[in-house]
Amino acid sequence: MPTARIGRPALRLITPLEHEAPAPLVAFCSHCGARPTPPPNVPAATQSRVCASCGLGLILESPADAAPSAGDAFLVLDHSLAVCAVSEAAERLLATSEPDVVNRHVSDLLMAAEAEEKNGAGLSAAVAWAARGDVGTRTAVVRPANTFGIRLTARIASCGPPRAALLVLE
Amino acid sequence: MRYLKTSEAAALLNVSPNTLRAWERRFGFPKPQRSPGKHRLFTHGEVAALRDALQEGLSISSAISRAREGLAADANSLVGALASYERERADAAIEAALALRSVERSVEEVLLPTLDEISRRYSVDSAAWAFAAHWAGDWLRRATRLTPPPVRQVSIVFGDASRDELDRDSPYIRALQLFLVRAGVKVLSLSARGVAGIGDAAAVHRPNLVVVAGGHLDDDTVARWAYAIRLAVGAMPLAIYRRGSERPRVRATGTTVLPPGAGEAQRTLLELLESDQAIAAASSAEHRAQIRAARGGR
Repeated sequence: MPTARIGRPALRLITPLEHEAPAPLVAFCSHCGARPTPPPNVPAATQSRVCASCGLGLILESPADAAPSAGDAFLVLDHSLAVCAVSEAAERLLATSEPDVVNRHVSDLLMAAEAEEKNGAGLSAAVAWAARGDVGTRTAVVRPANTFGIRLTARIASCGPPRAALLVLE
Repeated sequence: MRYLKTSEAAALLNVSPNTLRAWERRFGFPKPQRSPGKHRLFTHGEVAALRDALQEGLSISSAISRAREGLAADANSLVGALASYERERADAAIEAALALRSVERSVEEVLLPTLDEISRRYSVDSAAWAFAAHWAGDWLRRATRLTPPPVRQVSIVFGDASRDELDRDSPYIRALQLFLVRAGVKVLSLSARGVAGIGDAAAVHRPNLVVVAGGHLDDDTVARWAYAIRLAVGAMPLAIYRRGSERPRVRATGTTVLPPGAGEAQRTLLELLESDQAIAAASSAEHRAQIRAARGGR
């Protein structure tokens, strides 16, 4: 009968972790998703936060790899999972309007998909993590709250200011 | 109260006037009043509250929601002051509301909802309601007295069918009268109980329209009063305000039932008066044309 060999702990030489440069931040409109171009010779502090192209959203920033493009469906949520912004495309996708759902819980619009998310904790954990301002992008599988059989992959990252979670539906 | 034109409000918010108009359509905020020339007039308080909220907002909707919450704080503080029987604090709360809004909007958005909340919370038999209703009646009367003299050549006679100052409809009737007086209309308020001497009152006042307001008196009493007015000054448009919709009644042709809100009722009455004057002007023009034609034919 073979005996289990218990190896002695040993120190191993590992290569130092490479310091990853954070993804650059890009600005986008919280309603239409358009990327604004800052006007020349205007100090950033005096620029309007309101989107110049649609006039119905505020300019937010998020890492470039997570930021939505114009026409993307996305939501902005705060740390308590309350809806703060709904893009124009998300309004169409979820058959709602931003003024009706703002300050309501995200579960009124989106649910974690049961098959893919065992207990639904993945979505809320990812949103809380992003709203805290942690660097990186997570994904979760969700479905519209009132519809079964539809699966959407949500890309979740932090955005702001003020600090919040960006949930882009793909 | 400081008002801003569209361009001034847009400059304060660092947006274009078109964006401001788009917000009004989509969100209903900031809600402008109209000048006599029908131009938008924004209250400085609302625009300033929105400007501050935009700095901290994640969307226009959330910023507007935050600005609205800040403005609703006035109603909460007035409820608190009246529920704790503090007259000075109630005066201060309504003054704070007036700093951000016009008199009409302060009454519609703060004073009347506060009274509704107190009547709902404590019932109309309570001491809190008695105090609140008395304070509100006093404030509305004072505001009416401070209004400049009427400028329009129109007058309205009110037949007050409410019970007394503690009637739930009474503040709404006073508010409607205040709004009409502020719009330049001459208003005479009479009790719908008494018909003695009503001819003299009507002859002096020469009303263009009669409003029966309040739901306490029964239909027979109100009908006697309306008949006495009709005998004195002849047929004229009649409007009914807060008579309750639960009791079935036969309405005479031409009677207008006013919406329950004081602001909406005021607008309906002003439209009625304008259409009535337009009809009168058109009929007199037609009459003059007929006379001219008859003279030409001769």
